[in-house]
Amino acid sequence: MSTVITSDDSFTSAAGRQLLIFAALAISGITLLMLGLSWASSRTGAASGSNNAVDPVTNTLTVFLREEPPQLDSSKATDTVSGSVLGHVVEGLLRYDEHNQIAPGVAESWDIRADGATFRLRENARWSDGRPVTADDFVFAWQTALDPANASEYAFILYPVKNGEAINAGELPLEELGAVAVDDRTLEVTFERPLAYFDKLVTFSTYYPIRRDFYQSVKGAFGADANRILYNGPFVISRWVHGASLKMDRNPYYWNPDRAKLQTIDFAYITSDANASLNLFKDDKIAYTTLLAENLDDAMQQRWHIHRFMDGGVFYIEFNHRPGRLTGNHHLRKAMQLATESAELVYKVTKLPGYLPGESLFPVWLKGVHGFFREEYPANYPHMDLEQARRHLEKAKQELGLKVIPPLVLLSGDNPVSNIQAEYYQQIFRKHLGLDLKIDKQIFKQRLAKMLSGDFDLVLAGWGPDYDDPLTFGDLFASWNLNNRGRYDNPELDRWVRVAQDEQDVQKRMDAFGEIQRILIEDAVILPGYERGVTYVTNPQMKGMVRRAVGPDPDFSNAWIVD
Amino acid sequence: MAELQLTRADFEPLHTDQEIHSLSRPSLSYWQDAWIRLKANTRALFSLYLVIALLAFTLVGPLFWTVDPAAQDVDQISLPPFADRDARIVSPYEPWNGSSVLPVGEGLRLADTPTSEAVRLVWDPVAGATSYSVYRSRYPTGDDRALGLPLIDLYGSASTTFEDRLDLSPRTYYYSLLAYDGAGNELDFQTLTVEVNRVITAESAVERGLIAAPDDVQIGDVIFMPLHPLGTDYLGRDMLARLMHGARVSLFIGIAAPFLYVLFGVVYGSTAGFIGGQTDQLLMRFADFVVALPFLLFMILFKIAFGIGPGESGIFPMLVALVLLSWPATSRLVRGQILQIRQEGYINASRLLGAANGYLVLRHMIPNTMGVILVTLTFAVPSAIFTEAFLSFIGMGVAPPTPSWGSMCNEGIKTMLTTPHELIFPALFISITVLAFNLLGDGLRDALDARMRSVE
Repeated sequence: MSTVITSDDSFTSAAGRQLLIFAALAISGITLLMLGLSWASSRTGAASGSNNAVDPVTNTLTVFLREEPPQLDSSKATDTVSGSVLGHVVEGLLRYDEHNQIAPGVAESWDIRADGATFRLRENARWSDGRPVTADDFVFAWQTALDPANASEYAFILYPVKNGEAINAGELPLEELGAVAVDDRTLEVTFERPLAYFDKLVTFSTYYPIRRDFYQSVKGAFGADANRILYNGPFVISRWVHGASLKMDRNPYYWNPDRAKLQTIDFAYITSDANASLNLFKDDKIAYTTLLAENLDDAMQQRWHIHRFMDGGVFYIEFNHRPGRLTGNHHLRKAMQLATESAELVYKVTKLPGYLPGESLFPVWLKGVHGFFREEYPANYPHMDLEQARRHLEKAKQELGLKVIPPLVLLSGDNPVSNIQAEYYQQIFRKHLGLDLKIDKQIFKQRLAKMLSGDFDLVLAGWGPDYDDPLTFGDLFASWNLNNRGRYDNPELDRWVRVAQDEQDVQKRMDAFGEIQRILIEDAVILPGYERGVTYVTNPQMKGMVRRAVGPDPDFSNAWIVD
Repeated sequence: MAELQLTRADFEPLHTDQEIHSLSRPSLSYWQDAWIRLKANTRALFSLYLVIALLAFTLVGPLFWTVDPAAQDVDQISLPPFADRDARIVSPYEPWNGSSVLPVGEGLRLADTPTSEAVRLVWDPVAGATSYSVYRSRYPTGDDRALGLPLIDLYGSASTTFEDRLDLSPRTYYYSLLAYDGAGNELDFQTLTVEVNRVITAESAVERGLIAAPDDVQIGDVIFMPLHPLGTDYLGRDMLARLMHGARVSLFIGIAAPFLYVLFGVVYGSTAGFIGGQTDQLLMRFADFVVALPFLLFMILFKIAFGIGPGESGIFPMLVALVLLSWPATSRLVRGQILQIRQEGYINASRLLGAANGYLVLRHMIPNTMGVILVTLTFAVPSAIFTEAFLSFIGMGVAPPTPSWGSMCNEGIKTMLTTPHELIFPALFISITVLAFNLLGDGLRDALDARMRSVE
């Protein structure tokens, strides 16, 4: 009996020893594998990311991009990331300087008249291959953007140039464009109709020059890679690893050698995750990062220097005005307008400094006749008034012949700021009006597609300015504007938009914008939410970073490093 | 030769000793025996009580804690558990144009009592200044000039007032004022420490049900804000109510899905095992095929197939996907058991005695596999709860404002560093539930194991 037990014991201990050996082998094997993998990943990963955010020795600044630049062909670029990158490496006729004033770019002098403009190009403006920038480069770029075959989304910004719209519609040949290279250094522009803000327009990336022979030599791949763009700005893209990093070096051919102070700007990371970039900033891997509301306490505790700036964008709920949609009903929209209070949204829900409660489509920074537009034309946006809101709701139900308004679909973006807003509005309308909202979260592209096809009742939308004039917002709800996603159609509003477009007298133009603002509020075309501000932190050794609402943002082309 | 003397008594039956046949303890059925062993296992018993408590929490809890889980209170956002909640009654907020008479004093000072509704600052014009910037911090400003949040930049020498309404909570704030001249040079730097008190208007107190009528209180009275025992989330919704209602979704999926798929798995597996042969091969290869189907993909496909539009709950397709794709594990287990039992002697004996197939299955096979089935079921519950939490976490589950533990975790993780209770509570509930079901399953396996029956 006892011998059996002994043999049993020895068997158990032998099995145990075997198991122990196996476990030790497995653990050491996994450890080796991990070490090998981390070694391999360090070789393939961002090789440039090992330095500090600011390096005074090599005069290098390391920052991040929010996303891979989707389009570096300046005739087709539409988004802010591409705009920011292009602003460092390409220069238009005019540009915004570090104080956000119009400054000479490739043009050394210019003359803008009511019917046209003349630009005199500087002699020492050079492309990055050493050849001069000529007037024909601008003519070619503008023709390319307007060419219907290229289907540039921002072609409309060139419509003020004579025949631009007709060329884009394919009714006239490209050569009929009202922009002519008189000689290599003189560009003569004719306007379609009198225009007061052409100097601001030419700073936009669609107006950047493109050289004809180079564009044709890359055979449709212009802007697709670092060596498939020609540069004439203060920097050139020296290395572009798609989806991972982008590196810029000072351009030796740039006409003003004093402008760029940095040798290298290294966009070493591409991430849209605010927490990821915050961690990179903490580790001194990048020189600036944007803060979210939940990071503010952390930033204060770390005693960072926090900055804010208004990025110029206005965000609002846009209604779908297409026939057959309940939101086409004036009283329903009015009820929703009177049930909301944007101050509550901004101060208690989004909680970011720099956000302003929205009252109008026209943001506070737009200039009017003498001072600010909104001071001369106050929005007088109605405050929350639940009694009146419910009266409007009753009227809406009568007009629509409904006892209960069925659930409405609120199309929203899939990001933290949109999510919290969507849920806030969902509860506000349920609590105050008994309206049910279904939240349709979509990623940016999908949301845009649904907005285009009109597959929504309400949508959390926004608009950023393209140029520094109220018209960049003012024509948004004109019946012909494709960016009027809710297809709002009001002849009276259209009439005022035409006035704002054609009128030369500043007072009359601003009056027209005042009327547009009044109609938008009285008819509750949109529910303004907020004017966006950006809260960010910077490395104290980096100076001269420029943030701007209109133009390339962020702009490091004037930045420098202090020891 | 002795004669064999047989008496009558020798032919009487032997006296049977009653004591031998009397049992030393009462006869126990399989279930009674299992229950005794389960009771002896304190860990399992404790888990069982936990599971019962959780069910009570979600089913009975809302009867006592009648707070609407979707009701937002933007004045009590991200409140930690048991935060102080006294609020002073004030008159309704009136917009301030800053033009009121400057209060006596010097430098940066308050124009009004600071409240959680607004902090109103005034300062004397600084000679030569053309713009001012106001900052606010939760930490004292030091020589490092960490001034905190930049609240506003004011242009013009005449702007000497500012009203701060941004996310004020009852605590101490450190305000700073910077004055600049036209060239952007700093001219002056002033600071002010402000103690903010929570306030509420009589109207909103009525709206919250704290008092019956606005006349019940006077300006300056102190009342208590609604109680939130577990705090509130990022929109001021009560965490306790959301956890109770979130548990419904989690436990519904956690119990309904395993029950359905284990049931199907048992029928499928026992059919395959009992019939055997070619049919068994065919059925089990089909089960292998189902194992290979990707769950997430089918979940999305079902969502589309059922016409679940945007903003609608994805719980039903989740249930269908779970049931349709998770049964093979159970069916394999049951088939194995049945195959084994089929060879046992008592089955053959029963068959020889003329038992029909149905009798064999119901009387012998299913009861003998019951242990395995129950254990599978208890282990399937936590895994289904996890699946629901995971899918809601990535946004495939419930639609807002319906809470579920997974979606609450998803929301809480964004503010993990500043308001950890929004993540900790739902995560704790998931962990406790999963652990309780796992330990209970462990205990049941031990209790139902027939081979341990004789072991005391």
